[in-house]
Amino acid sequence: MARGKAKEGDGNWKKFIWNSEKKEFLGRTGGSWFKILLFYLIFYGCLAGIFIGTIQVMLLTISEFEPKYQDRVAPPGLTVIPRVLKTEVSFRMADPKTYEEYVAGLNKFLKNYDNDQQANSIEFDDCPDEPGDYINRGPFNNDQGQKKVCRFRRDWLGNCSGMLDSSYGYKDGKPCVVVKLNRILGFKPKPPTNDSLPPGMMGKYNPYVLPVHCFAKKEEDVDKIGTIEYYGMAGYAGFPLQYYPYYGKLLQPKYLQPLMAVQFTNLTYDTEVRVECKVYGENIGYSDKDRFQGRFEVKFDIKSS
Amino acid sequence: VLQDDHKLSKEELEEKYTTSISKGLTSARAAEILARDGPNALTPPKSTPEIIKFLKQMVGGFSILLWVGALLCWIAFGIQLAQGVASAFDNLYLGVVLALVVILTGIFAYYQEAKSTNIMASFSKMIPQQALVIRDGEKKEVPAEQLVVGDIVEIKGGDRIPADIRLIFSQGCKVDNSSLTGESEPQSRSCDFTHENPLETKNIAFYSTTCLEGTATGMVINTGDHTIIGRIASLASGVGNEKTPIAIEIEHFVHIVAGVAVSIGVLFFIIAVSMKYKVLDSIIFLIGIIVANVPEGLLATVTVSLSLTAKRMAKKNCLVKNLEAVETLGSTSIICSDKTGTLTQNRMTVAHLWFDDQIYSADTSEEQTTQSFDQSSQSWATLSKIVTLCNRAEFKPGQENVPIMKRVVVGDASETALLKFAEVILGDVMGIRKRNRKLAEIPFNSTNKFQLSIHETEDPNDKRFLLVMKGAPERILERCSTIMINGEEQPLDRERAEAFQTAYMELGGLGERVLGFCHLYLPEDEFPDTYPFDTDSMNFPTSNLCFVGLLSMIDPPRSTVPDAVSKCRSAGIKVIMVTGDHPITAKAIAKSVGIISANSETVEDIAKRLNVPVEQVNKQDARAAVINGMELKDMTAEQLDEILINHSEIVFARTSPQQKLIIVEGCQRQDAVVAVTGDGVNDSPALKKADIGIAMGIAGSDAAKNAADMILLDDNFASIVTGVEEGRLIFDNLKKTIAYTLTKNIAELCPFLIYIIASIPLPIGTITILFIDLGTDIIPSVALAYEKAESDIMNRRPRHKKKDRLVNEQLAVYSYLQIGILQSIGAFLAYFTVYAEQGWLPNTLLGLRVNWEDDYYNDIEDSYGQEWTRYQRTYLQWSGYTAFFVSITIQQVADLIIRKTRRNSIFQQDLIHESPFFPFSRVQYWFVAMPYAILIWVYDEIRKLFIRQYPGSK
Repeated sequence: MARGKAKEGDGNWKKFIWNSEKKEFLGRTGGSWFKILLFYLIFYGCLAGIFIGTIQVMLLTISEFEPKYQDRVAPPGLTVIPRVLKTEVSFRMADPKTYEEYVAGLNKFLKNYDNDQQANSIEFDDCPDEPGDYINRGPFNNDQGQKKVCRFRRDWLGNCSGMLDSSYGYKDGKPCVVVKLNRILGFKPKPPTNDSLPPGMMGKYNPYVLPVHCFAKKEEDVDKIGTIEYYGMAGYAGFPLQYYPYYGKLLQPKYLQPLMAVQFTNLTYDTEVRVECKVYGENIGYSDKDRFQGRFEVKFDIKSS
Repeated sequence: VLQDDHKLSKEELEEKYTTSISKGLTSARAAEILARDGPNALTPPKSTPEIIKFLKQMVGGFSILLWVGALLCWIAFGIQLAQGVASAFDNLYLGVVLALVVILTGIFAYYQEAKSTNIMASFSKMIPQQALVIRDGEKKEVPAEQLVVGDIVEIKGGDRIPADIRLIFSQGCKVDNSSLTGESEPQSRSCDFTHENPLETKNIAFYSTTCLEGTATGMVINTGDHTIIGRIASLASGVGNEKTPIAIEIEHFVHIVAGVAVSIGVLFFIIAVSMKYKVLDSIIFLIGIIVANVPEGLLATVTVSLSLTAKRMAKKNCLVKNLEAVETLGSTSIICSDKTGTLTQNRMTVAHLWFDDQIYSADTSEEQTTQSFDQSSQSWATLSKIVTLCNRAEFKPGQENVPIMKRVVVGDASETALLKFAEVILGDVMGIRKRNRKLAEIPFNSTNKFQLSIHETEDPNDKRFLLVMKGAPERILERCSTIMINGEEQPLDRERAEAFQTAYMELGGLGERVLGFCHLYLPEDEFPDTYPFDTDSMNFPTSNLCFVGLLSMIDPPRSTVPDAVSKCRSAGIKVIMVTGDHPITAKAIAKSVGIISANSETVEDIAKRLNVPVEQVNKQDARAAVINGMELKDMTAEQLDEILINHSEIVFARTSPQQKLIIVEGCQRQDAVVAVTGDGVNDSPALKKADIGIAMGIAGSDAAKNAADMILLDDNFASIVTGVEEGRLIFDNLKKTIAYTLTKNIAELCPFLIYIIASIPLPIGTITILFIDLGTDIIPSVALAYEKAESDIMNRRPRHKKKDRLVNEQLAVYSYLQIGILQSIGAFLAYFTVYAEQGWLPNTLLGLRVNWEDDYYNDIEDSYGQEWTRYQRTYLQWSGYTAFFVSITIQQVADLIIRKTRRNSIFQQDLIHESPFFPFSRVQYWFVAMPYAILIWVYDEIRKLFIRQYPGSK
């Protein structure tokens, strides 16, 4: 009985896929399938049209020069170059292969800062070589065409510019990292007041520089970190204000954000040393959740042999 | 098969059970037998351990899928943790949340199930506590559990029979077998073997029935599970619980959704892997797809909707024990109704009178206060006097303010009927009796079949005594020589006798119990004041009396039943009467309530009309059929099927509990959803077997109530109709709920698919999806269960169990491929808007996923050249989730509006007030998807317009 029923069921199943009597495939005739498919073709066609239309309408409400909101991107992040996996810089001094990735990263990033890239004086502007105040370049639109950008000379980075030492100090176990403040359109960083800085930095205070300072992340690493050399415009360990504000990709396609470099010249080898670098400013924020906002962390593990 | 103890003589019994009627068993022997047979109690069925039931809930429905999801989450967590991925803990939490969802819905479902009680509980409650037994030649009180076969027990009025016993001695013993056989009449019990069938013979009393009056001594012949009731109990617990139709529908729905989820999941897993995604990532996509596809909150919503309906039904006197049974009633296509108590009032009532050569009808409604037939005739005055006086029934005192029909009476059913009838017409029956003092009386017994009493008259000038008598009409007529016509005594000639016969046959043919009444004034000279009447020697005339009239009684149908039956008819439900009663009575009641309609004929009727033998009648011609239990016994399953198919109006009479079961099974073979109503223990197997068992709340035995899925608190058949309506409504509304719920699944699924294919940042997170499914969507889904009926749902046929599914192709396709897609597009618009306004134009998003999700890439450029850290991107992504979520919610409002009606335009239906719950988000994002919400609504209105214009097209 049950077996008979099962067979019957099988028959129905096959019949459902292809019913030769009614010429039905999956319960519908060819004509019916055609109508259905045509319906969905038109239906989805219309939907696609409506979707694209509404997207276009939405884009009309958005300026191409500045974003509507910036509450998610500010305050800016502090980025370290080279970009390292798990923020761990680990290499063997004797083996160039172990650090070539870092060197390549730096080379690639600093290429834009080569002098020949900044030759065009229509796009570039000779800003003062000393840190100065913000340079406002008008409203955020192209009524005056593109906006000029300040030049930034790679050699200001000294030993870390890669011009003197093509391995950026890695082959000597004195690694360099380049630090930049993430670009945010229209953002004007405000330097801190002198007395709000950590003790070691007070001496180098300049009201037009946003200072950066690196230190050992952990108590026990304080002795291992050794001397830290800072390079930047006019020897200031920080970002000069005349490079701000940023006017966006469209108005300043060649924009060079100010850089500074940090070289660890006396790191303890064969152990992990955790370093944190921080940028200081009144409108710079730090967050427990975002460990790259206004600061970053690098772990050095240099093997001497 | 029962033994034939009822046929054996006392000596044979003593021998068979090695006992002594006078001395009983010895204690030692009894202990021996007790050890052999076990205690005299019903063994409870092996119940599934609670933990197993609980675990079953944990793996049923979508739970398996979600468990797989949770497991994958934890695996992913483990791997990511080992790899040191920062976001690994997200997967751990997601897994925990998924597990929690499963466990909580499981607990919820388990709690609902635990409410339905165990059927055996009430059987065990029926066991009498103590029994008076003769052992070692002495009378002892022992717990009834210790009774063994061969024990001699004594019972008296009010006792429950402690086991199946063969009576050895009886004095005026009457038992109430109604819980066993459904017969409401008290049955007298004697020591005589009266019937081949042990169930019908008078010398056996059954376990758990009640002894109403008299005393008896009997020998225990069966104990515990071997008793008749024990067998019925095991029959009932042996009947598996059928899956309710809604459970089948939900299972079907789960299969569809799970099928879609698994196939899309696997498909995209393969796509993801072949697109060179990491296997781990692909697994995480798979989880997302499963979570998006599974409507986590739906099963809980269904349960809530069902229990809301159950509450509503409870207010209308339908108490639903098993939640899923709420809908079953709506899909019911056959109702097998018990007669007594459900269709009828379960009390004898005077229905017709015959005097002066004429039949009068009496009012049989529940609330009669007056009787409207012609009461001017002198014959009626005489008849009423006999009815009043020749009656032993009395009202219990202290009920003066209770309506007559509701007063409690001491006496049997017929006498009660007569007493109430007289009280309604004459008033103060007790006063009349007091004024006509009773001098002598012969109570009714089965040998003379009459009852007689002699009274003084209330007229002080009339010194004659009045002899009144009532009984079986033919016996009464035999004793009469005259008949009263219009108050005059006239000789009882052949013509008169024939008129009597015709009236008797006519009333009998109506299935009514007929009683004859006669009287005689005893001549004053022969019977002076001081005449000593002796009922034993009968020193007074009992023949040549004056016949006065006939009264016929019936257990009348409830006044609401005919209407309810016709409503069932128009709703396409076949009502079958199944009763233990006599076929003629059954047929009469069936006709009067419309189960057999006025112009329908049975095969026998046709044969009678055409005057041909029954065999020659074409069975197809007869719409109605009355099947006797004896005929049913000899039928094959095919023959029964044939009857069920060919006749639309069927009455089964004189059926046994097993036969009820057979009938229910027969109906179920026709793919019908069968409802069975019943009240007795004998009904419980059929109640259990039925798709929905309906027990009577007032008259029903505990066993019946336990076996049933639903209890009619007012014992009223009409309440079933209400239940059917509610059941159909909830089915329609669940359809709406499911359509509503399924729609957003596409809007939850699309983000994952696009995310995988176009590599955009994830538009909506798994947790957010859960929040929609288990949060914002629950209230509107439940609200849909409150929708009023659209069309007159009681005028369409019950849904076909296998064809009209809860979730059909059209519903799935419309929800998934049309509204669902529309909704997704609307939500995507909001998503793109959020990103564009923050600096990420749509074109930059495409293919961005890998960098976007790189934990160490903290300076990704957006469309404006701004650089974003990982966390800033994540935060933006969450804003995207919120916008997507809000859009879905907003569009679900439109979805809710369109789902409120299935065919009618929303303008034809009242809007109820909804307040879906919104979380905080930038307010304008609530409105981004608004055009799409409106589009959804307009599109659906157009669809409904087409459906109304061109009904029936595919």
